[in-house]
Amino acid sequence: MIVDALSVRGLSRNFGNLVVLDDVSFTLPAGRIAVVLGPNGSGKTTLLRCVVGADRPDSGEVLVQGRRADETDPQVRALVAAALDDIDFFPDLSVVEHLELVAYAHGGDAEPVEEVLAELGLEPARDQLPVTLSSGQRRRLALASCFVRPRRVLILDEPEQRLDVRGRQWLADRLLRERAAGTAVLLASHDPELIDAVVDERIEIGK
Amino acid sequence: MTATPATIADTPAGVPTARQVRTHLRKARSRHHDHSLGEVLGDAYVMVLFVGMYGWFAISASRDLLDSPTVGQAEPGVRWWLAVAALLAGAGLAWRGLRALGPLLVTPATQSWATSAPVDRRAWLAPRFVLLLVGAAAGTAALGVAVAALGGVSDPAALGWASAAGAGWGAAALALSVVAQSSRSGHRWPSLAGAAPMAAAAVITALVVLVGRLGDGLPRPAATPTVVLFAVAVPLAVVGTILAVRALPRVDRATLTTGAQFANAAATATILLDPSLLASLVESRRWRRIGRVYSRRFRPGPGWWALLQADVRRLRRHPSAVLIWATLIGVQYAAALALPGLAGAAQVVFAYLAVDRLTGGLRAVSRSPGLRRALGGSDNLLRGIHVVVPAVGAGLWWLLTLPTVDPGPAWLAPTLALGVVAAAFRAGTRPPINYGGATVNTPFGMIPVDLLRQGSRGPALLAVLVLVQLFLG
Repeated sequence: MIVDALSVRGLSRNFGNLVVLDDVSFTLPAGRIAVVLGPNGSGKTTLLRCVVGADRPDSGEVLVQGRRADETDPQVRALVAAALDDIDFFPDLSVVEHLELVAYAHGGDAEPVEEVLAELGLEPARDQLPVTLSSGQRRRLALASCFVRPRRVLILDEPEQRLDVRGRQWLADRLLRERAAGTAVLLASHDPELIDAVVDERIEIGK
Repeated sequence: MTATPATIADTPAGVPTARQVRTHLRKARSRHHDHSLGEVLGDAYVMVLFVGMYGWFAISASRDLLDSPTVGQAEPGVRWWLAVAALLAGAGLAWRGLRALGPLLVTPATQSWATSAPVDRRAWLAPRFVLLLVGAAAGTAALGVAVAALGGVSDPAALGWASAAGAGWGAAALALSVVAQSSRSGHRWPSLAGAAPMAAAAVITALVVLVGRLGDGLPRPAATPTVVLFAVAVPLAVVGTILAVRALPRVDRATLTTGAQFANAAATATILLDPSLLASLVESRRWRRIGRVYSRRFRPGPGWWALLQADVRRLRRHPSAVLIWATLIGVQYAAALALPGLAGAAQVVFAYLAVDRLTGGLRAVSRSPGLRRALGGSDNLLRGIHVVVPAVGAGLWWLLTLPTVDPGPAWLAPTLALGVVAAAFRAGTRPPINYGGATVNTPFGMIPVDLLRQGSRGPALLAVLVLVQLFLG
C-alpha cells in the first residue's frame, strides 16, 4: 500500500464572508515536488499556512503520511519542515545559534549546521545577530532552518524571494536533492525558471 | 490509496524534553546579555511597589470623592447595583481580552525556532500556565480588595473574603480561557461566556436607570455575598485548572501566535506611549473578520459628497462603533444617578468617548499623506468633510443625554458640545508621535516633553471642557 506523504482533502478557509480557499484537494507522494499556482490573492499562502497548522481551516483536513495532521501532534511537527513568511528571530542569538537550537530541539546534533551554513553562503555571517543581516541573508537563514533537521515533508512559501541569481540556482539544486532523498516538497512560487526546473505537479487555485 | 487517518501524539524518540530545550535556549541567550535573576526580581519589586502605592492612593482619593458633597447623594442601592453592573461588564471585557491574547502565547521567534520542534507541548506551556494562573489570582485578589475598600469596607475579615473571592474568580477565568483556547473553532461557549456578563450588566444598568428615573432606587441587599462568591469560585477554579492542564497539549500554533501579535502590539504601545499602535492591529483584525462587503456606487455629486457617503458607509460596516456610541448614552444616565454632582462632567467625558468612535474616517485620512494625495483637494477640506459624521453624532448624543444634567447658562451646552467635537477632531488628526526633543523627569521616568504635548492633543482640551463645566455648569 502506497501512502501519500501529504494529502489535502476539501480544505476551505473564509475571512468573514470572503471565501479564500474553496474545497481544495490534492495528494503529494514522497519524492515529488508540487507548486501551488494562482494569481495574487488566490490563497496560496493561506493554503500553506493551513497545511502547516499556522492557520485553522474552516473545513477539510490535512493528512501527513496518512495520519491526520494536527499541529499539536509532536510526530507531525517532526515530519513537516516549513519556511513561511511569518518567521521571526531571537534578537540576541547569532545565526549559528539559531540553527543549533533547531537541530537540538529536533533531537539531532550540530553536525549538519556547518554544512548547511556553507551551502547557503552564511558562513561569513555565522556569528552575526539577526538585526545585522540583509533581507536576503534572513531568507537564507529561514531556509537553512528546514535543512538542519529531519523532515519528510517540506513546505516553502515563495522560497526564491530575495535570493540572488546564485541563490536561486542553489535553491533549484537543493530541491532536486530533496526530491531524490524522498522528501515531498510543496511550494508556492512565481518564478517560472524554478518551477520549470524542479516541479513535478502543479496545483492551481483561485481560477 | 491512503491509510486510515489516525492521530498520534507521542513525542518522537530522541527529542529533548521541554526543560532541556528551554535550558539550551536560556544558556545561549544569556551569553549575549547580562540580565541576572536578581535584576528581574528587583524590577518586579519596583513595579509591584509602584502599582500598590499609587493604586492605594487612587482608591483612597476615589473613596473620599464618593463621600464628598461635590459628587452628591445617590439612592443607597443605586451605586451598589451599578458597581455590580460595572464588575460584570469588566469581567466580560476581561474575558474577551484573555481570548484575544490567548491567554497562552509564544513569541514568533520561539515559535519559529523552538516550539515548531516536536517537544512536548504540555511541558513547554505548563510553566507559563502556572505563572499566568498565579498572576491572575493575585491580580484579581488585589482588585477584590480595591473594590471592597472603594465600597467603604474596612473590616479585615471582609476584605479577606473579597480578596479570596477575587482570586478564585480570576483563577477560574484564566483556567477556563485556556480550555477555550484549546477548543476547536465552532464551539460557542467561549463567546457566550464573554457575552453573558455583558448582557447582564446591560440589563442591570437599564433596570437601575429606569427605576431611578421613576423615583425609587433598587434596594441594596443587606450584605454583599462575598462568601457565596468565594464558595462558587473555588470549585470552578479547581475544575477549570484540571481541565486546562488536560487541554495544554491541544493548544495549537495558530492561537499561540495570534495572541503574541496582540501582546507585542500592546507592549510596544505601552513603551512608546502610543495606543494607536494597538488600535491599528485591532482595526485590521476587525476588517479582516468582515472580509467582503457589498460594494455600491456612490450617489452622483461633487467630490465632498462621495467622501461623506464613504464615511457614513464606513460606520454601517462597523456597527460596533455605533453600538458603543449608544451604550455610552445608557452609561451617562447611570452615571447621573450614581454621581449626580458630577453628571455634567461625566457628560463631557462620555460624549468625547462616544464621538471618538465615529472618527475612523478622520483618523484614516489624517495618518496617511499618500491617501490624501490620492483623494485630492486640500488637507483642510478632507479633514473638514470627515468631521461631519462625528459632529452630527456629537449633537445627537448631547441632545439625548440632556435630561441627565441641570441646564446651565443657555450658551454652555452648545459650547461644550462643540468643544467635544473639537477635542475629537484634535485627537483624530494627531500626527505620528515624534520621540525627539527635550525630556522631563516625571514620577514615571524620563519622558520627552513633545511626547506629552502630542499625547495630550485632544484630552487636554477635554480637561479644559470638564473644568469649564464644573465651574460654570
